Amino acid sequence: MKLIVAGPTGTAQHDGGTFHPEQQSRIFSVMDGIRALSLEDEVIYPLTPSAELSDLARVHSTAYLTELEAFCAKGGGDIDPDTFARPDSWNAARRAAGAGLAAIASLEEHGEGVAFVPVRPPGHHAERDRAMGFCLLNNVAVAAASLTARGERVLIVDWDVHHGNGTQSIFWDDPDVLYVSTHQYPFFPGTGRATEVGGPKALGLTVNIPLPAGATGDVVRTAIDHVARPTIEEFSPDWVLVSCGFDAHQADPMGDLALSSGDFAELARMVGEFCPRPGRLALFLEGGYNQIALQISVTDTLGALLGLQTHPSPPTYGGPGMNEIRSSLSDRHRGLEQLHATMSSVKGEG
Amino acid sequence: MNTRPTIVVGYDGSVDSTAALRWAARLSGTIGARLRIVHAVGLLEHAGLLPDHVTAHRETALQVAIGAGGDPGKIEWTVVDGDPCSAMLRMTVPPESADLVVVGSRGSDAHGGSLLGSTSLELAERSTIPVTIVPSGRDEEDPAPV
Repeated sequence: MKLIVAGPTGTAQHDGGTFHPEQQSRIFSVMDGIRALSLEDEVIYPLTPSAELSDLARVHSTAYLTELEAFCAKGGGDIDPDTFARPDSWNAARRAAGAGLAAIASLEEHGEGVAFVPVRPPGHHAERDRAMGFCLLNNVAVAAASLTARGERVLIVDWDVHHGNGTQSIFWDDPDVLYVSTHQYPFFPGTGRATEVGGPKALGLTVNIPLPAGATGDVVRTAIDHVARPTIEEFSPDWVLVSCGFDAHQADPMGDLALSSGDFAELARMVGEFCPRPGRLALFLEGGYNQIALQISVTDTLGALLGLQTHPSPPTYGGPGMNEIRSSLSDRHRGLEQLHATMSSVKGEG
Repeated sequence: MNTRPTIVVGYDGSVDSTAALRWAARLSGTIGARLRIVHAVGLLEHAGLLPDHVTAHRETALQVAIGAGGDPGKIEWTVVDGDPCSAMLRMTVPPESADLVVVGSRGSDAHGGSLLGSTSLELAERSTIPVTIVPSGRDEEDPAPV
């Protein structure tokens, strides 16, 4: 199976200082993780042009885009205590968003394989008209919106340790996008409660699975398998996009979940099963700030999808959260009823 | 039913947020309002990558508020996950409630009046309740907000 690597993008000029964990060296670690797979001719590197404004405007307001470009052109600065922009950040963000579009195009061209989008700045916290959480443009949302614009249904699975508030809010009322997130909660950015289930036109199409600090891989896998899977199967996506943060790793300094690289490999296999056919899976780099954990997690995640033996760390078990998952199942039954009504409405309109 | 008015004020340890806190504490003491001091914890602070931490902020904030005339029995310290604007907004909508949001003016000058990066301007745009923006450096001499 081919691996399509749409990237790397990113620039050392998009730099928050040596203390800031979202830095260009993350991309070096990711690429080391890809090289460790020894794929040689099985890797495709498509051209990754910058996203056009028309692509970005599907998910961001034009006022925000204009303001962000102008802010960078004037030299940038701190947008909030976490998020920065530099003179070249506008270009870096457009290249990152464009890489996701290139990944989709390359998957379609080849009709098989798995795409990985190793880019920075990350995207899933960026909302329609605001940057936050290290994110300027919402890369996975730009890609998803390009697909829904032509009538395709998109599942976004977000296993970053932080809730993807930006992605959730952008597709809150969109019946063509199912957003599933596992994340530490309560935690930054403060959103992602199980009761957040989508807007009136998309009730049940947001599935939040909040996890307590210390949750292990078995909890996350159970959540995906028992809480999210019925909704995903009912939704029947045409494409599967993953907000692929590796900061849920037990060694990551930015979160308190306790996953191993083997857990990411298992999750990748599970998510791959949701694809309707080959060539419909793209993973977008989000968080991941321990360079070693990032590297081995990339290797093991992509290796699992490609059917390679990479000897990942064993999956983890026994952390807290299983009881919360079981109790949330009753909520999901209600969510499924909402989803069924939503899907019936969508199909009726069609 | 609690009919006492509630003032929410953002505090991050900066000069500007300190000015806002003084102004809000003075007002709350004058009208007998509950004063809720909100401190937003972002990604870097959670990871211990910022110089100050939440405990230090709390102690300083309470000292400032009481020193400015706030009633110690009506002052509440609240830590919220998220970016400053979202954290403040969440304190104004159910299940929380507030009657006034007070913030410092930081960012509006630095960003040339741009909405981007300015918590105060963004709050003014998004809040459904009144917002007071306290200009930095004027709180001792002239408590009037803008």
